[in-house]
Amino acid sequence: MPGMPADSGGAIVRFSGEPKHAASAPPVRPIRHGVPPPISRVYISWSSGNLLQVACLRPPNPEEGAGRGAEEVAGSVVEVNLGVGAGNGGAEVEGEVDDAEMRRIEYGSVPAFALLQSRKNALADAAAMQHMHSVSEHAEWWQYVLEYSKTIGNLLGNPDSLPAFMIEDPRAILKVREKPTSLKAAWELLEIFYVDKELHSWLPERLVDWLADYDSLLTKTDGTVYCKLNNFQKKLINLQIVENDDDYWNGLSAALSVGWLDVVVNMLRFHGSYQLDQMDNRETENGLVEAVAVLVSTMPRMRPDLPKGKLGQCCKTRPDFIKTWEKWRGQVSKLECSAFWIQCSHQKTRDGLKNLLHIMLGNIKDLTAATSHWLELFASHFLYIRPFTVGFEGMHHLAQKCIQLKPSFDTNGLTGLLNGILSENPEVVLAECTTKFGPWMVAHGMELLAADNDYADIMLHEERPNFGGISIEELHRLVYAQVLCSHSLTWQIAPTYLSSCLNQGLGLLEILLLKQPIQDNRLVLKTLELCRLYELEDVGTNIMKIAGIYHWKHGRKGTGVYWFQQAHDKVRLDRIAQQLFERIGKSVADDNFKQWEGLLELLGSDIGSAGGLEFLHRYRDFKRSLQQALEGRTGEAARQTVEFLIQLMRNPSTPQRFWLPLLHDSVKLLNCKPHPLLNVAETTLLLNKLQELSMAKLRPDFCSNHLPIHALSSVRLALGSNLARAILEEA
Amino acid sequence: MADSPSFRRHPLPFSVDLVRWVPSTASASSGRLLAAAVHDPSVPASSRLSLLPLHDPASPLASLQLPSRTTALRCSPSVLAAATSSGSLHLLPSSFDTGSAVSVPSGAGFHVGPVRGLDCGGDEWVTAGEDGRVHVVSDGGDGRVVARRVWDGKGMSGYEAARWASSAEFATGGAGCGVQWWDRRKGDAVVAQCKGVWGHGITTGMVHSIDIHPSRKHICVVGGSSGTIFAWDLRWAQQPIPLSFVGLDETAQPVCESEVWEVLFDNYTQSSDIISSVSTRILPVMLCSEDGILAIVEQDERHVELLAEACAINSFDIDPQNPSDVVCALEWESIGVLTRGRDAMAQE
Repeated sequence: MPGMPADSGGAIVRFSGEPKHAASAPPVRPIRHGVPPPISRVYISWSSGNLLQVACLRPPNPEEGAGRGAEEVAGSVVEVNLGVGAGNGGAEVEGEVDDAEMRRIEYGSVPAFALLQSRKNALADAAAMQHMHSVSEHAEWWQYVLEYSKTIGNLLGNPDSLPAFMIEDPRAILKVREKPTSLKAAWELLEIFYVDKELHSWLPERLVDWLADYDSLLTKTDGTVYCKLNNFQKKLINLQIVENDDDYWNGLSAALSVGWLDVVVNMLRFHGSYQLDQMDNRETENGLVEAVAVLVSTMPRMRPDLPKGKLGQCCKTRPDFIKTWEKWRGQVSKLECSAFWIQCSHQKTRDGLKNLLHIMLGNIKDLTAATSHWLELFASHFLYIRPFTVGFEGMHHLAQKCIQLKPSFDTNGLTGLLNGILSENPEVVLAECTTKFGPWMVAHGMELLAADNDYADIMLHEERPNFGGISIEELHRLVYAQVLCSHSLTWQIAPTYLSSCLNQGLGLLEILLLKQPIQDNRLVLKTLELCRLYELEDVGTNIMKIAGIYHWKHGRKGTGVYWFQQAHDKVRLDRIAQQLFERIGKSVADDNFKQWEGLLELLGSDIGSAGGLEFLHRYRDFKRSLQQALEGRTGEAARQTVEFLIQLMRNPSTPQRFWLPLLHDSVKLLNCKPHPLLNVAETTLLLNKLQELSMAKLRPDFCSNHLPIHALSSVRLALGSNLARAILEEA
Repeated sequence: MADSPSFRRHPLPFSVDLVRWVPSTASASSGRLLAAAVHDPSVPASSRLSLLPLHDPASPLASLQLPSRTTALRCSPSVLAAATSSGSLHLLPSSFDTGSAVSVPSGAGFHVGPVRGLDCGGDEWVTAGEDGRVHVVSDGGDGRVVARRVWDGKGMSGYEAARWASSAEFATGGAGCGVQWWDRRKGDAVVAQCKGVWGHGITTGMVHSIDIHPSRKHICVVGGSSGTIFAWDLRWAQQPIPLSFVGLDETAQPVCESEVWEVLFDNYTQSSDIISSVSTRILPVMLCSEDGILAIVEQDERHVELLAEACAINSFDIDPQNPSDVVCALEWESIGVLTRGRDAMAQE
């Protein structure tokens, strides 16, 4: 795409934007190409990712000689990175997770993804054998998906990983943990609702646990329970008498409403009546506080187990839970109606504790007041009002009710995702993942979505004509692969995803591999390794040829020949041979051969793959042997030399232009020996060749060589006398 | 080797091309150190040599800016040397005092293009580049270094590896040309050559790494393309010994099928046959490969696989002072530290 350059050496192309955006000036990037003006041509092409390659060329100058032209730059190629400083990606995660961290997640998810795909393929084969419909009918399948989900979840960060040795502050309300990320929170939501079948009957409690981990992420503008407690924690240092502070009681009711029982019990112990000097006159008050604390810590919970440090009684079965629940509710109401309240003189303590009891009894008004976000209200319903809520429909209904009570204007990826899940709308879930959590999340989360959901399975895998015949799943994988391809550190993992795309993946993979830079031999080898893994031999051969041409052009002839040999590129090796012969033909002093040694070694004994270059090898052998023979070591060397000569002359690959030099070199040898070295037939062959050569001299395409004029005749004479002697000898 | 080795991966915010143990000095207070050649492609001109503490490699202690990506890195007891893809050489005292770093710039007087062959032999460094040039770099007095050209192949051959055998001899290897043995006493010339034994029925390949055992200076072990590892004994120069396809029977699997990036003699692994260990026997060799294998191979023995990573292992180094510890540079922006042996648990 040549463009017309401006005369000034700086910016290059005049740009007229669309009329709509006429007001905003187009971004101009000055580039330093170092080519002195005038510049006649500019070529622009996309390299990998955000890299733009700009080539600036000067007009060819016919006056300049070949020698001087090399000194002045005739053109240069500059790489412009358009990505730097222009990043304003739309996904929410980008602010939270930095680039290096995101790449760590990308790398880590490759083995898990590959393992799941290979298991899926194995199960699909087995399913085809047993005439089953789909992979998801296999019992093992969802366990594989669960394993995958856990692996990826661990990769996203482990909120429980506390620094091993940390002295816990007794006045700390919230535990110091690794900062949770919304990426992890979203992943866990998908896992809870779509994958973890075993824990489905404890879904409400899992949601409560999830909220405890990620409450801080729910909203940036409206408050949350976490926010409230965090603010109170800051205030706590300066508080003398906590029970006089409204925030203390608000914090308590908030924490209780979302089921953070350990936090509540810990906070209740801050109450002033526990202090030794006040025990005596506040005995009843202290008794009430303690009674509430005990009730809180023995709250029945419908779940198999509790993590360490969490409070409550676990009930595994429904009848068991109902029995415990009734008993506990009885105790709470008994305390609520107790006569001791009258003896409690501290007004705020009395009201605060009563409020806690009302929350425990499931008073909707108090719960609504205690919680801040609709999701918190939602969780409090599971804890205190409807512990047996099951099924998406019921939950969705409840969520709608909570949203009405506590409308939130802060549209957040997590709440949007939860809404999509509860309304059983995989399209919404997918859209939320795409816009809020980026291509990584979509590409990996789709596996969870379709694990045990036939509708989502069909939606994701149906091939759509409006997408060019690919499925939604493939589309998202391709998008993610493109993101990976655009970075020079992650492009190597893109093939894993591309190879899982049956329709267009392979084509894109070939383009990706062919677009990789070939300047560095190690990078070429890495690319070739991928070609080998994905059985793309043709692509590999092409890459080797491109690399060969690059190295050849840059004067690294040995490396160039190596790549052509690897690619079995006979055509180019022959071409190269012609070029080399030209140079050898001009000057072939014996010491010069030392330089060619490396190249000849490379050509090796495997003559077939070297094209016309095999001649060089024989030529070297001949020269070496000739030298030995002339030094007069043995008659054996002379005989050997002559054999090489005959071989060379017989071989059709020996270029004609070397015939005379070869023969001329041998003249001395032929003349100096008392016995003829060649027999009659051999001499005749050489004479015939000589005749052919004299004929060829008349043709216009004959290349003359730099031998003395009498060369031909001296060779003829030597051969003639040899023939005479040979005839005599044979007779 | 019954006790299981412990392995730890440290993710880093940059890509690591090469990694080496820095010889620890008595005065070092910061614990054991690593030298790593790193770069970050999203930041222009970010190639550098960094000094990383072993306990927290993600936070470098010091860095030296380099003009382009590092292609070779070696440590001598007192000096760190790095060669780059543009053809320059940088020498730095192992105390990592970046102020007293010296360099030989790339260009017509030195190398043009990647220098992958680099080794320290006493006071001298040998460099061998893809441009076909071989240099010996030595101290020229008053803080300067002098590079002397040993050979200029003028691009007819390219070198990918170099290793000293003694102060007068070194070996080089490259694309298609196998291994050369140079003797400086014989006019800086190649005195022996070996084509090598390559796998998969191919006749030629690229040499990536050469190692020579200090106690058996006549034997080179060579790693290269297509999973090839072979040993070359100068005394039987015509018959290189293949190490990659050994096994008890003919059907034995090769250790790996992709590029073998580095090979080193492993002093920690005891030869399985100590009693009859005559000088012809090849000592155990460790290798790392593009398909993520870190393994030990031995002549006529089944190989021992130490690691099988999901990504390439581009470089590794055995700590000369604690040969049970191995550090490796992984393709996915991380380094791994492998601790072998009985005391592995105690150190954790």
